[in-house]
Amino acid sequence: MTTQTPKKKTRKKAVVKLTRSDVLKIAAAAAGSIIAAPLLTTGPLSPFGQLKQGQLEGENYAGHGAQTGQYHWGMVINLDQCIGCEYCMRACTATNDVNPEEPWNIVIEEKTSGGHTFFLSRPCLHCQNAPCVEVCPVKATYHREDGLVVMDYDRCIGCRYCQIACPYDARRFNWKDRSDEENPYVPAWGTPEVERRPRGVVEKCTFCIHRIDAGLAKGLRPGIDREATPACVNICPVGARVFGNLKDPESRVSQLIASNPTFRLRDELGTDASVYYIPPREGL
Amino acid sequence: MTTSTLPRKSFQFPSFSRGFLLWMGFLAVLLVIGLYSAIQVLLKGLIITNLSDAVPWGLWITIDLSAIALGAGAFTLSAIVYIFGIKRLQPVIRLAVLIGFAGYTSAMVTLLMDIGRPDRFWHPWVFWNVHSVLWEVTMCITIYLLILVTEFAPVIVDAPFFDGWTRLRAFGHSLHKFTPFLAVLGLVISLLHQSSLGATYGVIKSRPIWFKPSMPIMFVLSAIAAGPAVTVGVAYVLEWILGKRTVPHDVLRIITRFSGVGLLAYGYIKFWDMAAVTYYGRTPGVSKAFALLQQQTPYTFSFWVGEVILGILVPAVLFLVPRFNKNPAAAVVGALSAMTGIIVHRWNVTVGGLFVPLSYSPGTAFELPIGSYTPAPIEWGVAVLVIGYALIVITLAVRFLPLFEKQEH
Repeated sequence: MTTQTPKKKTRKKAVVKLTRSDVLKIAAAAAGSIIAAPLLTTGPLSPFGQLKQGQLEGENYAGHGAQTGQYHWGMVINLDQCIGCEYCMRACTATNDVNPEEPWNIVIEEKTSGGHTFFLSRPCLHCQNAPCVEVCPVKATYHREDGLVVMDYDRCIGCRYCQIACPYDARRFNWKDRSDEENPYVPAWGTPEVERRPRGVVEKCTFCIHRIDAGLAKGLRPGIDREATPACVNICPVGARVFGNLKDPESRVSQLIASNPTFRLRDELGTDASVYYIPPREGL
Repeated sequence: MTTSTLPRKSFQFPSFSRGFLLWMGFLAVLLVIGLYSAIQVLLKGLIITNLSDAVPWGLWITIDLSAIALGAGAFTLSAIVYIFGIKRLQPVIRLAVLIGFAGYTSAMVTLLMDIGRPDRFWHPWVFWNVHSVLWEVTMCITIYLLILVTEFAPVIVDAPFFDGWTRLRAFGHSLHKFTPFLAVLGLVISLLHQSSLGATYGVIKSRPIWFKPSMPIMFVLSAIAAGPAVTVGVAYVLEWILGKRTVPHDVLRIITRFSGVGLLAYGYIKFWDMAAVTYYGRTPGVSKAFALLQQQTPYTFSFWVGEVILGILVPAVLFLVPRFNKNPAAAVVGALSAMTGIIVHRWNVTVGGLFVPLSYSPGTAFELPIGSYTPAPIEWGVAVLVIGYALIVITLAVRFLPLFEKQEH
């Protein structure tokens, strides 16, 4: 033990020397890298920055969507009209080529507190304060300018944190490779309009963005023109689902919300969902 | 192993005892089982696990969290020695850093198996979401692993194997002067990610029994308390195996006392967490969730026996009562007990929280099914891989690196 003491002292001197110049250098290097890293990774100098730039324009802030732009796509689901036929689930599963065991859009039988039966159907609610967008470690889930919460399947690492964070069980993980599997809802309920997602990524309802985007490019009005409207809305035999622009006070969704009592699922969590429900006439 | 002579001067190929070879053979069996399981998972995907959309995280996440917490001895002891200036504990640092390295790399291996797209493991480094706790944890773990490697480099180049490599050795030693700086950075980064692992659960507002501010505090406190105890336990066990002193016993006794006090602090927070959040402050969601866990799972038993008695009370007594504190066997038992407590706690948080189904429907009849999950054999296989890997790292380092030099009297 005693032989060690002189050695320790020389070490201590090295420590003092470090605190003067070296630490400053290290601090400068650290500060430099902190500035350089975002520039190199997501900024203009990045080799990756151009990858998805068009798609990711609305990702400036992970929390809020639909703060800019003229659209905020939303849906009104009338629980008083819904008959529980599950057509929306089937059309969605066919159109988006979803695994029928893990549908994006679900329909469940429910009872009001008075004992009346009603049916609750649930797409992704496209929250404006979406927990899934906040928790994603790679920004694979993000808000578009039009408020939609969509995914970049080429970026998702499959950590499943979004599944855990979503309060509505709206996310599905691709546990297996489905490339050889048949979709029992095709062609009776529609034909696939988007690519199947690969094994190992999480997926979710998109409000059929491929229809919205292609429709707008053609000058169509999503929610009014069928070609630009989500499959679940088109197929509903009783018109219980209405789709449109929440930012336009003249749209049918805005008018339904203005003229009916509506609620949103678990509003107390502050998720600010874009899907509004009209309760059954017996109340909830 | 074939006996071959290497060209380096003054490097003698080490001789192996029969016990060492048997132990390595055992570890090789673990690795074979583990690699087979890992290859199966990579080929067939996560469908062969028992994970599901209801319980997407399970055994592997528990291993990640536990390995990182049990590796916390590295940053805690580095901070004690280099920041708080208690130089007396210096002889334990190399071992603590080694265990930290084994723990953190084990966690990374498990994470790689757990994510659906292992080929995209690098995405968090490139595509930043600064709002995500998990992103922050990933970055911190990466940076901290680099710190551990830098801290350990002087030990590696001191191995007899590098006797001929004077420049490499000089470079390795030059890294040593950064140690105090690395200790500060390591402390900051570790405090951040050890608590963020708890925040990973604590920020999820849709899950009533997770959503509380005490979650990160309990995670970081339990890691600071149990991590150093693991280092002590390993030091004593190595002493029995090697038949010679590894770290001076007075040093180990100080650390066990520190660990005991840390466990009591963790127990204190845990008590008030239970009282305030889950007893007095019960919301309907919390009440329902706990009622369900208590009915459907051995939650009550695993909480009281696993987390409280084995995880806190037993090791605290063994570490703090002077009679036990002097006894190496008691320290080893205490370390094992504290390890069990950590693992049970991480399991209870992860899987227990996911068992409770989400409730979003406005009606009264519909309930999502209660989550069910028992790890599949293939998941245990990957767990065997990780354990085998960690043991091999520690074994090889103890055998070939000068971890405990200059401690001999």
